[in-house]
Amino acid sequence: MKIRTLRLLAKEGTKNVYKNKLMSFASLATVLTTLFVLGLVLLIIVNVTTNLEAQKRDLQVKFYLRVDASKLEEEEVALFIEQSRASGVVADYQYESREQAYENAKKDIKDESLMEGLTPENFAVGYFVTLTNPDSSDAFIAKLKLFSGVDSQWITYPKQELERISGLMRAFNYVALFVIFVLMIISVLLISNTIRLTVYARRKEIEIMKYVGANDWFIRFPFIIEGMIIGLLGALLSHLLTSQAYGWLKEGLNTLFNSIKLSGLQLVEFSELGVRILVVNVLFGVTIGIIGSFMSVKKHLNV
Amino acid sequence: MIRFVDATKIYSNGVVGLKNVTVKIDKGEFVFIIGASGSGKSTFLKLIMHEETPTEGEVYVNGYSVHNMPKSEVPYLRRSLGIVFQDFRLLPNKTAYDNVAFAMQIVEALPREIRRQVPLALGLVGLSKKAKAYPNQLSGGEQQRVALARALVNNPAVLIADEPTGNLDPKTSMEIMELLDEINQRGTTVIVATHEKSIVDAMKKRVITLDRGELVSDVRKGSYTNED
Repeated sequence: MKIRTLRLLAKEGTKNVYKNKLMSFASLATVLTTLFVLGLVLLIIVNVTTNLEAQKRDLQVKFYLRVDASKLEEEEVALFIEQSRASGVVADYQYESREQAYENAKKDIKDESLMEGLTPENFAVGYFVTLTNPDSSDAFIAKLKLFSGVDSQWITYPKQELERISGLMRAFNYVALFVIFVLMIISVLLISNTIRLTVYARRKEIEIMKYVGANDWFIRFPFIIEGMIIGLLGALLSHLLTSQAYGWLKEGLNTLFNSIKLSGLQLVEFSELGVRILVVNVLFGVTIGIIGSFMSVKKHLNV
Repeated sequence: MIRFVDATKIYSNGVVGLKNVTVKIDKGEFVFIIGASGSGKSTFLKLIMHEETPTEGEVYVNGYSVHNMPKSEVPYLRRSLGIVFQDFRLLPNKTAYDNVAFAMQIVEALPREIRRQVPLALGLVGLSKKAKAYPNQLSGGEQQRVALARALVNNPAVLIADEPTGNLDPKTSMEIMELLDEINQRGTTVIVATHEKSIVDAMKKRVITLDRGELVSDVRKGSYTNED
């Protein structure tokens, strides 16, 4: 097919979008609605995952040195932790000196008689380490135990908590995948059904073209362009709608979280996800538009 | 040009469309296909344009073996034919001009060529002034003229018309027939299926009569009743 013809057919498809206003509108509304729902579900999924991920990262390895650890032993551990941070194993850590531990204890323990006779020398140096990858905790703890200065009885890591969150995430991922899968199928069915209707309304047109001697691609191409335009428009509009709706939702939920002191939960900024959701929407909308048109026209080409 | 060799068409529901028809139509002929409803007129035309294929026998049209041609070649066969239907079959959202231009666009004619040929074709059928009208703004006769212009614009070797005057009043019908005759004078083979006696009688052309799928008579300069 010549470039000239392709251009002509693309123009034809574009014109058809507004010449068949009612049907275009019906298709557009379907694409818009399904992509909107899909977008919101994607946002919910991302938010839940992000928050779980954040909780996982908040879990810290806590360990103390022996109270009688020597200066050299302390330095060994300090060096190890610094190196671990430099190599990226450790994301962040807090160091608690003997003096700080003493002060903290004084603050926490109201009964002064219990603190009597204690000096900072009776307290141990402590580390609270946040790992970059929470799943590497076992290996990290094993290494800690090799240091003579570390009191191996005082290494704690909320392993159960980690497993709980990990389990939750796995379960949630399965559910999310399933929901997206089902939604996609529903979207494909809904959209292609609408397209099928619009093509059916114009089956006579297709028939006529066949009788005049048009080959299949000549007939198909404008319909595909039409499907593409409607898919694209639907995706863009649904993106606008999603970002608005998410904005309101975010505001409302953040107020709610704050009022019930759940400030640990944070909704992800739309701008962080916007582009990704836009890409998904556009790809999805355009693909269904094209495939839907292609399949629907095919049925009527056998004249 | 067009040759049926012992062609039979039996539809999947058992209805006999055409039975052992052997006939030859030469270049430049004007032929009426007549017969009552269900006599096989439409089947005859459908076999020519590959809307149906024969269950047995052979059909040759403009050098194509219609009885066993690959699907991909059907558009090319149809481009060598101009087809006119009883119900006009114009594209509803295209103007008269664009409907005619469409037939040229599908053969990827040059835009310059389209701009030259389409007004000529519309002029030939006497519709130059209605080029910008949409089909629903035209009378039945005018719509059929547009359909004729579309069928002609690529200079097909054969023009097929299935009851072209079925939806038109007698006066308009005669005008369309005169147009078909004119087209025939210019060298195009014209095949018209009809059951309108007055038209067939007036034109004095070759008449092929079908009855229940069989070819019962084939007369040069015939009339509807075939007394001669």
